[in-house]
Amino acid sequence: MPIIEIRNLSYVYHPNTPYEKKALDDISFTVGKGEFLGIVGSNGSGKSTLIQHFNGLIYPELGSILVSGQDTRDKDFREQLWKKVGLVFQFPEKQLFEATVFDELAYGLKNMGLAAAEIEMRVDEALKSVGLEPEQSRKRSPFSLSGGMMRRVAVASVLAMKPDILVLDEPTAGLDPEGSSHILQAIKKFQQDKGVTVILVSHCIDDLILLADRLAVLDQGKLLAWGLTRDVLAQENLAQYDRLLPDYLKMLFDLKKRGWVINTGLLTVEEACQEIAKILRRDGT
Amino acid sequence: MSFKGIQIIDVTKYYSSGQNQLTWALKDINITMKPGEFIGIAGNNASGKTTLARLLNGLLRPSRGRVLIDGLDTCDHRQKLEIRRRVALVFQNPENQFISPVVEEEIAFGPENLNLSLQEISRRVEEALEVMGLKELRLQAPHLLSGGQKQRVAVAAALAMRPDYLVLDEPTSMLDQFCRHELIKHLHVLNRQQGITIILISHYMEDLEKADRLVVLQKGSLIADASPQEIFQREEQLTGLKPPDIFRMAQLLGKMGYNVDCQITTREEMVAYLCRLSKSVI
Amino acid sequence: MKKLKLGGYLPGDSLIHRLDPRTKLLGGLAIIITILAVNSWPVFVLNTVLIFLVVYLEKIDFKAVLQGVKWMWMIILLSFTFQCIFVKGTPLVVIGRLIITREGLYLGVLTFLRLLILYLSSTILTMTTSPLKLASGLEALFSPLRYLKVPVNQLAMLISISLRFIPTIIEEAEIITKAQKSRGAPFSSAKKLVRLQTGMAVFIPLIVGSLQRATDLATAMESRCYTGGSNCSRLKKLNFGRTDLMALALIAASCILPLFCFHGRFWQVPR
Repeated sequence: MPIIEIRNLSYVYHPNTPYEKKALDDISFTVGKGEFLGIVGSNGSGKSTLIQHFNGLIYPELGSILVSGQDTRDKDFREQLWKKVGLVFQFPEKQLFEATVFDELAYGLKNMGLAAAEIEMRVDEALKSVGLEPEQSRKRSPFSLSGGMMRRVAVASVLAMKPDILVLDEPTAGLDPEGSSHILQAIKKFQQDKGVTVILVSHCIDDLILLADRLAVLDQGKLLAWGLTRDVLAQENLAQYDRLLPDYLKMLFDLKKRGWVINTGLLTVEEACQEIAKILRRDGT
Repeated sequence: MSFKGIQIIDVTKYYSSGQNQLTWALKDINITMKPGEFIGIAGNNASGKTTLARLLNGLLRPSRGRVLIDGLDTCDHRQKLEIRRRVALVFQNPENQFISPVVEEEIAFGPENLNLSLQEISRRVEEALEVMGLKELRLQAPHLLSGGQKQRVAVAAALAMRPDYLVLDEPTSMLDQFCRHELIKHLHVLNRQQGITIILISHYMEDLEKADRLVVLQKGSLIADASPQEIFQREEQLTGLKPPDIFRMAQLLGKMGYNVDCQITTREEMVAYLCRLSKSVI
Repeated sequence: MKKLKLGGYLPGDSLIHRLDPRTKLLGGLAIIITILAVNSWPVFVLNTVLIFLVVYLEKIDFKAVLQGVKWMWMIILLSFTFQCIFVKGTPLVVIGRLIITREGLYLGVLTFLRLLILYLSSTILTMTTSPLKLASGLEALFSPLRYLKVPVNQLAMLISISLRFIPTIIEEAEIITKAQKSRGAPFSSAKKLVRLQTGMAVFIPLIVGSLQRATDLATAMESRCYTGGSNCSRLKKLNFGRTDLMALALIAASCILPLFCFHGRFWQVPR
């Protein structure tokens, strides 16, 4: 049974006012347990609205969403959903407020009503999983840390809650390539170690290509594509969207249009080169 | 007889971070930038790029060494305004630069501070709107626009000062691929048509591949100062930054025995080359 | 979602948008003082008509304008009801033990109109005048105070920037609240102390964010040669035109004239 099931979900902001805006339009897909799903879409695609449905901040008025088999329209279920679904917002370092890193990570755990010993253990574990040394970091003020470290603390504060489903909204926004890579590796490792379901939202498909098992592509509230990563990347209709595919993948579609018999379901630059070389050799170059 | 251009001479910048500790942001940097150049500055976070940007318009002063703008010393208090008129700075997050909820007022803010005449202010605002393609958005609120549009407003606001040098500190880090491409295109047009010296700081090599020169910083030191193509070839000089995808493809295909011209930087050029290659056989 | 935040500036090109900010400031003030101080029907009716005329002229959707009134409905309804029931006078309608008097009804309607006009006049000001223009207007009106060493220019810039950032800060507060809710922050706890602590989880990040923003903004302003001094030239120099004179005359007329033209007890609202 899939861990999340979305059926014909639509969402409208400020209905019946001059500011009415349809953020989501008839979205349907499922997320398997332990899967790494990448949601791709630029600003205005509705991705932020969608993920707020996953942890019950918003509930659907049209269509439904089931998490672990239960409908989020049930108020009691929805109000407890935050314990199972951890949501990391964009620029999560903007939510830090406690005096020490330890307190910051303990905040969610205290709200869950856990015992002090359990809290200690989880805080240390979470700090290690984002690459921070517990002994050195716990007593520091989050505001004395660099931007990249503040982000790691914010992510760790959600990881400490040991959610079954981890949802992250653009975790690499504003980071340099090195910082991006670290955080994505930490998330992947967390998923592999704990068997957690991960949903990662990004406008940059490059982040997701090597990490995601499946991709869902949103554009202006509609679901353009959903499926295994390679299958989605091979789809013709995506290539028209300038903002989605990286150059080296768009190139494969360009070559296909010029008559080349080429596999477009590739992931990396290396694979693209090998495919091109293969065709050139076959043609006798 | 004064030298035209930016001279960064033996510049070192450090901060004291309490308890007699010093954090070195930049060490012994020497760079000369000539008018009309398009210079890219690359480096990871903590490489000193942002510090360098702020040294260029006098927001920060070097701990050692000098920064000269057309011969004017940024440490000279009296030259502060003149330097800031010549060197305009655009920041990473446009949101926190906007003081007005109307695009044309935002653009007018700079010229107003220069106490120019009303006609002159009006003229400059019209020009900036035209050049950055913002005429239809002139009465909109800048902070409600899309990321790409916001950055265009920020650049227009800088252009209204009629700067000789335009420094942009990671202007594309919050933009998607398409908007990044558009903004960089605009900057090249400004450079070619208006002769404005562009100093672009970014950690995306795609933004910098068409620059005249690329300067690479790492942990405050200057690692490389050459043409982008030369630096892409020498991997160790990239200090962990990723070369552009098309360049990487050209390299890999080169290793497989296909001699790809290293002037090829765009997808269209690569496709054309590959098609020529395959047709030459059939 | 980001559009209107309770009377924030809505860009436009209507007649009202183009009026000099000083006209709107003085006009709005005149109307507010009049309806608070005076108790004459013609004055009220004329001012209400005037306000609605302005709303029509500013070409902003009426629904948008009234959106802010929604949260005031409770107050308006309560005060209307209380006036009707508790003011002693000539009985009009009797419902069981409740007696609604004529005087009560008058006062109820009056209070309703007062609150409505108060809200509408301030909203009209903020919706049709960008903060920078508003600051210019205030700066111009208060400029004589400069001779008393009051930093009028800086104060005007202060007001302008605060107004511009209010919608941004509100939006940020919403996001931080959602983020803390996602960590189980007990916003609706029964204990006051807990609610207060939870409030801090939104307040502190907001303050930190605002301080960072202030630093960034100051840096950006400095980079564009702002020196805090007086800017003698503004893009659109405050131009007091014929339309402004007409507007002010109209407002003066509806505030003062009826007091002289209409006499007699009938026109007075009982106290």
